[in-house]
Amino acid sequence: MSRVLSVVRREYLERVRSKAFIVSTILGPTLLAGILIAPILLTRQRGRALHVAILDPSGLLGSEVTQSLARRRAAGRERFVIEPPPPGTADQTRAALQERVVQGTLDGYLYLPPDALERSAAEYYGKNVSNVMDLQLMDKAVEDALVSRRLAREGLDPERVRSLTRRVDLKTIRVTARGAREDRGGSFLLSLVLMMLLYTTMAMWGTAMMNGVIEEKSNRVVEVVVSSLPASRLFAGKLLGVGAAGLTQFLVWAACLAAISASGGAAWGAAGAVPELSPFLLVAFVLFFLLGYFLYGAMYASIGAAVNTTQEAQSLAFPVMMPLILSIVFYPMVLAAPDSTAAVVLSLVPFFAPLLMFLRMTAVSPPAWQVALSMFLMLGAIAVITWAAARIYRVGILMYGKRPTFPEILRWVGRA
Amino acid sequence: MSESAIRLSGVTKAFAGHVAVSELSLAIPRGSVFGLLGPNGAGKTTTLRMVMDILGADSGTIEILGRPADQAARDRIGYMPEERGLYPRMVVDEQLAFFATLKGLSRREALRRVGPWLERVGLGEWRKRKLYELSKGMQQKVQFVATVLPDPDVLILDEPLAGLDPVAADAMRETLLDLRRQGKTLVLSSHQMETVERLCDSIALIDRGRKLLDGPVREVKARHGKNTVVLAFDGDGAFLAGLPGVQKVSDFGRYVEIRLAEGSDPQAILKEAATRLRLSRFEIVEPSLHDIFVEEVTAHGEAAA
Repeated sequence: MSRVLSVVRREYLERVRSKAFIVSTILGPTLLAGILIAPILLTRQRGRALHVAILDPSGLLGSEVTQSLARRRAAGRERFVIEPPPPGTADQTRAALQERVVQGTLDGYLYLPPDALERSAAEYYGKNVSNVMDLQLMDKAVEDALVSRRLAREGLDPERVRSLTRRVDLKTIRVTARGAREDRGGSFLLSLVLMMLLYTTMAMWGTAMMNGVIEEKSNRVVEVVVSSLPASRLFAGKLLGVGAAGLTQFLVWAACLAAISASGGAAWGAAGAVPELSPFLLVAFVLFFLLGYFLYGAMYASIGAAVNTTQEAQSLAFPVMMPLILSIVFYPMVLAAPDSTAAVVLSLVPFFAPLLMFLRMTAVSPPAWQVALSMFLMLGAIAVITWAAARIYRVGILMYGKRPTFPEILRWVGRA
Repeated sequence: MSESAIRLSGVTKAFAGHVAVSELSLAIPRGSVFGLLGPNGAGKTTTLRMVMDILGADSGTIEILGRPADQAARDRIGYMPEERGLYPRMVVDEQLAFFATLKGLSRREALRRVGPWLERVGLGEWRKRKLYELSKGMQQKVQFVATVLPDPDVLILDEPLAGLDPVAADAMRETLLDLRRQGKTLVLSSHQMETVERLCDSIALIDRGRKLLDGPVREVKARHGKNTVVLAFDGDGAFLAGLPGVQKVSDFGRYVEIRLAEGSDPQAILKEAATRLRLSRFEIVEPSLHDIFVEEVTAHGEAAA
């Protein structure tokens, strides 16, 4: 046993001390924070106010649009600065405004044609016409002014109509056994981030395991090692050692995620934008990573044992990657209807369970028996897969030369 | 002490379609240097791998130090495979300690032994360096230290002199003889018979998975008799092959080797040659292992045909 620990120790320390490990462990949370927080910060920071002139030859809508736009605020500051149009004939004024836009002293001007009321039409001339958010605000302002005018023409009080037709504000509140909490779409984002994190780490550490095996084989060091301890124990030691390094990184990442979530984005002035990650979900997150790692790591290791170079591994590794990729293909379906029969069945299949069962857990609270069953099935699959992989490993590590085909590799399982 | 360090009885190993080792029986005496000799592909490495349980034998039994081969018995063997291998990015002393712990040594004890051994092979200052920073020759030394660090009773060295320059090869021979003086059993495997011939007390010759012969080197040579004559001369020696009692003449340019038939007298050849050629050398020699091997292969080939 102490010899297996010796292998575990070597695998762990050699990996954790490497520069690649340190860099990716730090870089991960930074990226994660970026993904979760950047959109919040971006929507908050829209730069300086827009300088806009309003051209209203008929004089019917201009004042109301001006008022409406002047009221708009973003990040506590005025969004629009309305500039008076220069005097002159309509054509002269437009030419002058056009000139100012080109020179950059004006961001744009809004042209409300005399027949705007009839045609429901207006035009905006600007240097930048891709700032969708600002354009929407202007669109809304003109529309409100038009509707008010029309209502007044029909003898109705615009204020009264507005209060009668006020739009409903539908809040989404996620209810769990542990209480309710308002959710502004962050829940979906969190599910996605957690699942992608599982996917990335499993694929990454599975590949790390595979490359470790290939490296030992191409260095020929493996023969020295298996002269001292049986191949199956070396296999176990490697799987545990690489797994421990993976777990270390995963825990750092999970802790950062929990910290971001617990702060709820408050530190960035976006309270409630990042949904809370319950301790229960965090534990499940780590457990599913471990189960997934052992399942895929063992398969990756047997591929590594069968080939001579990482290039050769590419094509053989594809069937191993397939269930992971399929999980990503299935996820929108599972997330859309987490309790549908298809979602339940898929999330119980051991190869999909690490991603899809966990995904369901982030979306709804699946019955405990389903979670337990998926874990139980995964453990069973891990037992079978590691047993077979260890046998492939034992044969493969001393095989050099032509790359074996997939059926050949499977035949090794039957060989003692 | 008549007990064998390693004993193989009827060991057979077949790979998909071909038999690598067939019914091989060997007894390697304790405290001696044993040569496992044969051409490439003869089954040497496969045999050694079976001893180390890297490969399982299809049939037959293997005993180590008088007991059935198990993990504890194999812990007393140091094995250096033909294909050397270490971890390139690992620090030298960490690396040596790792391999020693795999043999059951404690990490502390292993690290304590690393210093003196590295000093002994002249790598004292390289202890904290990563392996890839060392030259190829230095890496070979580290590999050897990794094999001997756990102080095994038996050392199995596959092609121990391969890839060494003449100076390093001499140093290695010295070290091996030193280990023998300490009472270790050494098993040397090689396809270059002459290079290890001088080191070995006894040998086994194998070819295509079968043992051709084995025994103490002196006995093996005696069995094949002093029936080879080396002759150097000026003139045309074509007639030599036609002399009575001459089995075979091998021309090496500066001299010829004459293999005589059983019971024929070298003096008769000398007399005849002296009258017809200007001789500069005449010597009766023991056959080389190479010759014995060729002879045996031919004899077995004829027997099989």
